[in-house]
Amino acid sequence: MPLNPVTCESLFASDAIRASSRRRARRARLQRLAVTAGAAFVLLGLLAIPLYLIAAVAASRAPVGVDWPRLGVLFAGSLRATACAIAIALPLGFATAMFSAHFCAPRLRAWLKPALEMLEAIPTVVLGLVAATSFAPWLKTHVATLLALMVALPSLLLAAGFAFGRPSRHDGWLPLTTLPLLCAAVAGGLWLSNRLDATLIVPASPWNATLVGLALGIAALPLVFSVAEDALFLVPRDQIQAAFALGATRWQALTTVLLPAAGAGLFAAAVLGVGRCFGETMIVLMASGNTPVGGMDPLIGLRALGADIALGLPDAAPASAVWRDLLVATLALLASTVLLSLAARAVRVRLRHRLHVAVPA
Amino acid sequence: MSGARAASAATWMLGGLVGLCIVAMLGLLLFTLGSGLRSLWPDTVERLVLVDGSVLLAEIVDQDADALLLRSSESGRIGEGYERVRRDAIRARSEPADAFAVGFADGRRVFGSGDEDALAAAVQAVDPPARVTEVVRPNALDVVARAGMFARRLAAFVATPPHASNLAGGVLPALVGTVTLVLLMSVLVMPFGVATAVYLHQRRGVGAQVVRTAIDTLAGVPAIVYGVLGLGLFVHGIGAGIDRWFYAARLPVPTFGGGGLLWAALTLALLTLPVVVVSVEQGLARIPAALRDGSLALGATHEETVWRLLLPAARPAVLTGFVLAIARAAGSVAPLMLVGMVKLAPASPMDGTFPYLHPSRQFMHLGFAVYDAALASADAIRGVPRAYACAMLLVCVVIVLNLAAILLRNRLRDRYRAFGS
Repeated sequence: MPLNPVTCESLFASDAIRASSRRRARRARLQRLAVTAGAAFVLLGLLAIPLYLIAAVAASRAPVGVDWPRLGVLFAGSLRATACAIAIALPLGFATAMFSAHFCAPRLRAWLKPALEMLEAIPTVVLGLVAATSFAPWLKTHVATLLALMVALPSLLLAAGFAFGRPSRHDGWLPLTTLPLLCAAVAGGLWLSNRLDATLIVPASPWNATLVGLALGIAALPLVFSVAEDALFLVPRDQIQAAFALGATRWQALTTVLLPAAGAGLFAAAVLGVGRCFGETMIVLMASGNTPVGGMDPLIGLRALGADIALGLPDAAPASAVWRDLLVATLALLASTVLLSLAARAVRVRLRHRLHVAVPA
Repeated sequence: MSGARAASAATWMLGGLVGLCIVAMLGLLLFTLGSGLRSLWPDTVERLVLVDGSVLLAEIVDQDADALLLRSSESGRIGEGYERVRRDAIRARSEPADAFAVGFADGRRVFGSGDEDALAAAVQAVDPPARVTEVVRPNALDVVARAGMFARRLAAFVATPPHASNLAGGVLPALVGTVTLVLLMSVLVMPFGVATAVYLHQRRGVGAQVVRTAIDTLAGVPAIVYGVLGLGLFVHGIGAGIDRWFYAARLPVPTFGGGGLLWAALTLALLTLPVVVVSVEQGLARIPAALRDGSLALGATHEETVWRLLLPAARPAVLTGFVLAIARAAGSVAPLMLVGMVKLAPASPMDGTFPYLHPSRQFMHLGFAVYDAALASADAIRGVPRAYACAMLLVCVVIVLNLAAILLRNRLRDRYRAFGS
């Protein structure tokens, strides 16, 4: 019998080979099934959260309606904490990301990124502890000092750069070379504020939105940094080099090429940072005082959604009105954060698409 | 020219802000570690002579511009010896070399001065009596001896159970609880995480899009929401159901229908799933395409390529995901407050009796010990340093895990540099 050179029919006709290929096909089917089942479980896990919450709220037979005014105060409390935190996390995070992606010396960047990612790993309960027990007593008398430092440090750096700075190839090491100046400025400011001995701004409570914002801002900073840095670093190098070739300075390349190209990614970083702050629990639980007061005053205490759930749910009887209200609060929290992360995802996907199109194949 | 100056001024500002971030991060870490270690360092015992002629032997626990906060002998109950003394009411302060401090098992401390007889008398005078755990003459110790004392205290803190409702003793059960929890969590999360990553790596259809969106969304859901799901669905839903079917004889005492190790581990597994998936998928994507094409060209099926070649090659990435998930889980406290974490657990979730691991038991956790000691303890002056000591342990655990993950990632990168070139 002649052997068909294309199908090698008689070779595959052997029983052993046929059995082996059947076995392999069966095993492949099984593995495909296992992988799909795993992925399906993940989907199930995500869907279980909103479905359970909605079902539990709908099934509740509590005689009184949902306490909407209280929920509103909690929502406003979360918003106030988020606003204070974002005021710190966004400028610092964006500045760090811009420097790291565009100015930083490669050897410094190799350290900077993992170090800031390490900051993300510090448990928030530790940040809450430091804020509530060590920083709160200091902040009680030094709100004015803090504000002054927040204004003075950047302007001092600007002034020093204007006076002494020359564009040089050592600019990539600026974070380390300006450290002595920074430390001296901070130490001087603290010494001055202790000498002045006059409390200009007195917060109503040692645990207030400013304190929460500071701790939350530090907690959200690594996330904002890493998303923004990725977006800036994703911009194709040839575009920046083209700008340099056309005679742009480093800053012109940043503002005319890098920032417009990565704008959507920066937006996504901001949105993810907001989501992170809005849902954070341990820091607000420990440092906010947990007093349900409304308004937008950053110097009074607050009670956030997450903290209210953590405090109330362990003691609430299932199916009671309190339980139902807490589930509604959870639903509100879930809905806002999911909307934020979906928005961030949509923006990032569009950005990646656009950049991908922009790169010549 | 002024344009260049403005540019370099702005560069200085960015660089300076980066420096500020580094300083803030290092400062925060060093402050936490330092405060934790400081709380275990042996204090000196001071002898104060007051204006009214009375004499006090005490440790100084806090001070401000016009007063000292002292802890003097607590021979009756813990926390009774605190005293606030105005600075102008003190006539003389000294540190006598023969002063001693005695620590008891229930957390009380008694101070005195004199020889061994005085010490024995001071121990005898304590009512109710308790086991003596520590006798020091701190003022007579030099730095080396103090460091030895400090090391012994650190060892005792890590390796003994707590006393006096978490105000004294060590944190061994909390450490064991944390480790058991994260290990059980990783056993639950790893198969699903790896399977999902492989799914995302293989498929390019609508299914993959949906799963990817789900993973991104799960990563953004606040931790406390997972806790609510754990309490409502796992504990009150599934757990109560298991109790009705299998443990009906023991009702109304809940077995799985109360918070416990298993439900906490499941909750954390959901929480850490995105970390594992992202890490493993990145590892799979980083393997050069030539490797996969070679395997397919030799006649392997897609599945054989993934399981025999790609996953083994991406082993560092899988390990990185594992370690990052553990670090994330060890640091998340909020969801556990709802599902089975307690201040003092009656029994450890892991012990020597069959079946060794008890998934329905409540457990203690280092992160909760931090929260509890700092804000919910009966004695804040003891509680806050203790909270810092717990925080120091927690931070050490998390940082060591993260460093391990970074090293693993770098190894992976180095291994495939050869393939890429």
